Amino acid sequence: MRTLVLIVNRLLWFVPTLIGLMVITFTISHIIPADPVAFFAGENATPEQIAALRAEYGFDQPIHVQLWRYFIGVLQGDFGVSLYTQRPIADDLVSRLPATMELTIMAVLVSAVLGIPLGVIAAVYRNSPLDHVLRILTVSGLAIASFWLAILFQLFFAMELGWTPLQGRIDGWGPDKITGFFLIDSVLGDDWESFWSALSHMILPVATLAFPAMATIVRFTRAGVLDAINSNYVLYEQAMGFPRRVIVWKFVLRNALIGTVTQIGLIFGILIAGAVVVEAVFDWPGLGLYAVQSILNSDYNAIMGFTLVSGAIFIVVNLLVDIAHGLIDPRAAG
Amino acid sequence: MTTMTGLGRAGARLLGGAALAVALSFGGATGMAEAKDKFVFANSSAYDTLDPHAIFDVGRVASRLNLYDGLMRWLDNPPVLEPWLAESYTISDDGLTYTFVLREGATFHDGSAIEASDVVYSIERILALKKGAFSLFADVIEPGSTKAPDARTVVFTLTKPSAIFLATVPEIHVVNEELVRANEVDGDWGGAWLSQNGAGSGSFELTRYDPAIGFQAKRFEDHFMGWGEKYFDEIEFRTVVEINSRVLGLLNGDFHGTDGYLPQDQVKRLRESDEVAVDEQESMRIFYSIIHNGREPFDDVNLRKAISYAFDYNAFIEDILSGSVARNPVPLPNNIWGAPAGVEGYTYDLEKAKEYLAKVEGEIPEITLGALAGYGQTEQAAALLQNGLNKIGVKTKIVAEPWAVASAKMRDEQQMYDLLFLWRSTYYADPNNWVGEMYACDQVGARNNSWYCDPEVDKLLMAARVETDQDKRAAAYEAAAKKVMDDAAGVFVYNTKWFGPFNKSVKGVRFSPIGNGQEMRWAYFE
Amino acid sequence: MEGVRYFFAKLAQDRTALFGALLIIGLVLVAIMAPVLATHPDDVSEFHPANRLQGPSLDNFFGTDRMGSDVYSRLLFGARITITIAVIAIGVSVLIGVPIGLIAGYYRNWVSDALMRISDIFLAVPQIVLAIAIAQTLGPSIENVILALSATYWPFWARLVYAETRSALNETYVEASIALGASPLRVMMLHVLPNISSSIIVRTTIGMGGTILTAAALGFLGLGPPAPSPEWGRTIAESREFLPEAWWYATAPGIAIFLVVMGFNLLGDGLRDILDPRMRRSGAAAGARDE
Repeated sequence: MRTLVLIVNRLLWFVPTLIGLMVITFTISHIIPADPVAFFAGENATPEQIAALRAEYGFDQPIHVQLWRYFIGVLQGDFGVSLYTQRPIADDLVSRLPATMELTIMAVLVSAVLGIPLGVIAAVYRNSPLDHVLRILTVSGLAIASFWLAILFQLFFAMELGWTPLQGRIDGWGPDKITGFFLIDSVLGDDWESFWSALSHMILPVATLAFPAMATIVRFTRAGVLDAINSNYVLYEQAMGFPRRVIVWKFVLRNALIGTVTQIGLIFGILIAGAVVVEAVFDWPGLGLYAVQSILNSDYNAIMGFTLVSGAIFIVVNLLVDIAHGLIDPRAAG
Repeated sequence: MTTMTGLGRAGARLLGGAALAVALSFGGATGMAEAKDKFVFANSSAYDTLDPHAIFDVGRVASRLNLYDGLMRWLDNPPVLEPWLAESYTISDDGLTYTFVLREGATFHDGSAIEASDVVYSIERILALKKGAFSLFADVIEPGSTKAPDARTVVFTLTKPSAIFLATVPEIHVVNEELVRANEVDGDWGGAWLSQNGAGSGSFELTRYDPAIGFQAKRFEDHFMGWGEKYFDEIEFRTVVEINSRVLGLLNGDFHGTDGYLPQDQVKRLRESDEVAVDEQESMRIFYSIIHNGREPFDDVNLRKAISYAFDYNAFIEDILSGSVARNPVPLPNNIWGAPAGVEGYTYDLEKAKEYLAKVEGEIPEITLGALAGYGQTEQAAALLQNGLNKIGVKTKIVAEPWAVASAKMRDEQQMYDLLFLWRSTYYADPNNWVGEMYACDQVGARNNSWYCDPEVDKLLMAARVETDQDKRAAAYEAAAKKVMDDAAGVFVYNTKWFGPFNKSVKGVRFSPIGNGQEMRWAYFE
Repeated sequence: MEGVRYFFAKLAQDRTALFGALLIIGLVLVAIMAPVLATHPDDVSEFHPANRLQGPSLDNFFGTDRMGSDVYSRLLFGARITITIAVIAIGVSVLIGVPIGLIAGYYRNWVSDALMRISDIFLAVPQIVLAIAIAQTLGPSIENVILALSATYWPFWARLVYAETRSALNETYVEASIALGASPLRVMMLHVLPNISSSIIVRTTIGMGGTILTAAALGFLGLGPPAPSPEWGRTIAESREFLPEAWWYATAPGIAIFLVVMGFNLLGDGLRDILDPRMRRSGAAAGARDE
């Protein structure tokens, strides 16, 4: 019941939060001193040309009128047109969403697949040399600047060793588009050349993104497992004579995982924030790169579109996490 | 590659027979012809739109030159204006009426004939969209004034005589009227459709486009200019933002060419490779700093001279750029007609700088040096000037902002930086493209971002804009350029050299400062 | 006094926290002593183009950059920028976030709802995106980076203080003092704030690390202080076009960022263990997002 209340409460706030977000980004983006129209019109544009464009895009209107128009547009699913690419923002975002999702989902998978076992190991063998090594690794993961790590990876694996591509998402034109996820599309289309190309392009950005996320997971899992090991019921099971391995994997891990699930929202936040910079370094054609480019180009509509979409994704993910958490562990809800 | 100009086509034809036979047998035997004959170019700018009338920049010139044609075309270096889709043209005595006769039998990619009405539609489209190259025509052509008396004759009637109109005609890229009209939505002149599709007659026909990747095009066999013996069957222009990726791709053969303005350290890397040949040409892209002449105390010529003497030209050109560019002391590229020859220009001379500084009356406030974020060279130049000015006791601060911000500030007398380092590229190869726009009174706040308006210079420039005799025009531009330099209206640094890196198997690249060596119809694999 | 001595005794026992504290003290010392420690102290604004892109040597410990300046000396001066940005930005965030959290936590009315909603809105997008947008709007400079970071980071403190205040209000002695008629200001300042200060200190220490990373990222994207500033993120960005030849160019500032952020994270972890045993369980050093 409390879970239900929580979900309804979150849903009720979904729209106001997005409207608030819209107002904030609108305010920020519309006091930019740059004149996106002048930029877009080009180096040789005449003042007349610029004025005409400004009127065409409605930038000659007072700010509150622009905000209202934008708001009405968004309600109809119209995010406006990008000044820079000349295409509807919604199209741009939709076409770039799969690239970012593919990257972040891979990073979540990699970090969870590596992080959870490592966390359990660190807890089970706590204070052993292994635990210390893992601790150094996790501390590093949270302290390293992702853009620097990305450059180190590029320098070493792409430039020196030539094992991976330096940047980009794929060679050639990519598999025929079905879902927009290159790995899935290339398997569906039986296009193995694209598959390997996409996979090899993914290695460095995924590694860069996954490193801090994995560090977080290791920490949480370790703490959760330690808590569980020290809890009364495990002591009881031990007293009952269950083998240690069974206790760890069966009782302890299940309880510890509840904590980890709730952290996926946290990790997702780290990853989306990380993607902005990582995509810029690897020239990965996703939402993050789009955001950086739009900001540098003062492309108002694109900035707002990105902010709204990433805000919405973030809220939805957190909502799902709350629901999952509520289902796994009803006591924790609220 | 300069020798290609006249001899090129004949030479290619001479060699052709044998080479063609080899190419055919190879292609037939292995079935690799398609892959082998695709030329892949790594471009630093993104091809956000393919609409030839929506963009007018050098970074994205490849889509315009390879997919579309104009009546005239700039070729080679130094650039020569040649008839292209037009087979001939006449200019009336009053300089107001330009009559072009189209080639016979020229067709668009869809096979339909290119008619005079398509040219009329194209210029009307430019005037209506008010994008891209619109500003070149805004003052001289009224909408509706261009006529097509018959299918092969186009008549432009100018509102006033203009010596540069012909130079800008290549930017009227001709689109297929029928095709574009068929894809018009809400009176957008087919804008949405044309941004993603082709409707031209160019040497290559668009086959694939993805704004996040680039475009791919196949050879258009029936192109009205015919073809040499050797050519690429397919070309692909990909967006590769990072310099290192472009260089690496070139080194390992993934790309066959990339832009010719790489940092010298990278050019050196490419030169050391067995895979890559670097073609060198003096381009027409001058690097300079705007000085805001309209703002106190920069309206004092002595301060401007002090600044000009405080920049270490030699260190910048020889050390930072490893001697890869040529000193260019005037607001015109050295290699265009009308550029005054044998001008010394300013040197790095702090004694003279101090001398002139002493003549400046009143306090000198902290000077804002503008640079373009993301363009390391502009930042390094600003830092170097800051260093020099420091030594003569002038305080400065550097502001590096993205082009979007800088280009807006450039048009605003209040917001404009005191100084701003940037390049001036070739949009059309006429001195008016540089000094004629940069220092003319009628362009103040538009293309004259220095707020410099000198009656003597303006008189020369205005006369040169309507005069048709090139010798007289050259004399006027020489005098104007010298006067602007004497007034130290800007800090003129260098003229770019183009270092076109291409795979060694690529031959026949024809460089022109307007196309930057990216029009591929003459190039081929050896 | 007893508490202070206990605190330092505990800290001395926690070797990693001590190591973190030493790294931070090192950073502060380097920043203060930069003119003395630097071998080429003028190289922040003095260039030697003829000597550019030279590898590490006895004269230039970490090599030279694109202008021929000494990377090592510039790195030391870069520490000043990093400290300035982090301390002021976090200071402002605390000064905004803590009062908002206190007020929203103390009162239970629409104002407190509204304040928390506004915080949530700021938290609904990655901080770096808002910070990039603000920094771009205001133009690249140290001041604007500080502003952008302060404007985006305060909600973390507001959220934390809000939650802590709500639970502190349930404590018997706080309830008692309210019942005795203490003014809200008095309750907040004398009872609630001291009670939650250890959480704030822990959060602030860890927040420093995150802020330094974000500030460096802004510098990397060209939104930090402009050339020829020796800011670390900008130095790394500058170096990219000279890779792989000039590998030393990006190495030193990258390691510097790493060590400093690690220092704050380790110290933060240690402080949490000592000051705030309740938080130990969550183990959230991830900097950003623990609500």
